[in-house]
Amino acid sequence: MSDGFEFGLERMFAESPAMGDAELFAARVMDKLDRGWTARRFVIGAMGVAGGMVGAYQVISTDAVGHLQALGVQSNAYLNQHLAEVIPTGLAPSGIGLDLQTLMMIGALAIAAAGFGLVRLIREI
Amino acid sequence: MAIRQSFVSAHDLELVALGAAGDRLAFGELVRRHGSAVRGLLRRMGADGATADDVAQDAFLAAFEQISEFRGQGAFQGWVKRIAARLYVKRWRREARTELLEDAGDETDAAPQAGEGGAVARIDLDDAMKSLSPAERVCVSLCYGAGLSHAEAAAALNTPLGTVKSHVKRGLDKLRARLAPDGGDERSRAHV
Repeated sequence: MSDGFEFGLERMFAESPAMGDAELFAARVMDKLDRGWTARRFVIGAMGVAGGMVGAYQVISTDAVGHLQALGVQSNAYLNQHLAEVIPTGLAPSGIGLDLQTLMMIGALAIAAAGFGLVRLIREI
Repeated sequence: MAIRQSFVSAHDLELVALGAAGDRLAFGELVRRHGSAVRGLLRRMGADGATADDVAQDAFLAAFEQISEFRGQGAFQGWVKRIAARLYVKRWRREARTELLEDAGDETDAAPQAGEGGAVARIDLDDAMKSLSPAERVCVSLCYGAGLSHAEAAAALNTPLGTVKSHVKRGLDKLRARLAPDGGDERSRAHV
């Protein structure tokens, strides 16, 4: 059971006069907070650059562009061949244009979408 | 520090919501409002000025990190005080001062008798807290300043509940004699 003295004690603890350097203290906290955010952004950026460099190295070392080009040519031929079987001769297009440039554009869009998603995720975190 | 004028009249809960959305200026207003109270509590717990400021800064940084966990069930100030008190206790324990908690039976500073001091009509809390042993200061501050129950204080201090209760009781007796020399109610408190 709490007595009057204990309630009074809680009240005395709650009553805390503003200190003369309250503004300075708040400024120091905000400065630390800003530095923390800057450091976090730097770390995320550095990790992104490192990841990008590793990715670029992998792309170059595995000749991924050559593989993509070959894949584009093969898939274009495959699609044209099968479309020709399904679609009547008069309606068949000369080709659907799935060449290397199209594939790279699709890939770039996918990477950009993943990038937006990653930025959003980092903001949420 | 930049303070947006609209924040000055804003309620704590509005500022918390803005802070949770990443508005650091809004959080800065909360620091400005409650910084002194948090630092004051830490000093009453026994921290020197520099340590109190250090721990209070860490407490506000931790509060900003965890601000989405604050649901507004109590006052924002109380929430930050609890964070700060726990941080201080951690530091206190790191500095191997917990052995002070074990000597609950030793009277290091006898409680003054009621009425002692004669003409002194009122001794403020800060002075009165200095008459407590370090362990008593920490235990009383945790329970009456940071609003922790005895059990929560015992958990924070990693100390048996009975030891905490003992320190609180002895600390209260000393404070009562200092702050209510006309003889405060001697009933003990079940602060659970």
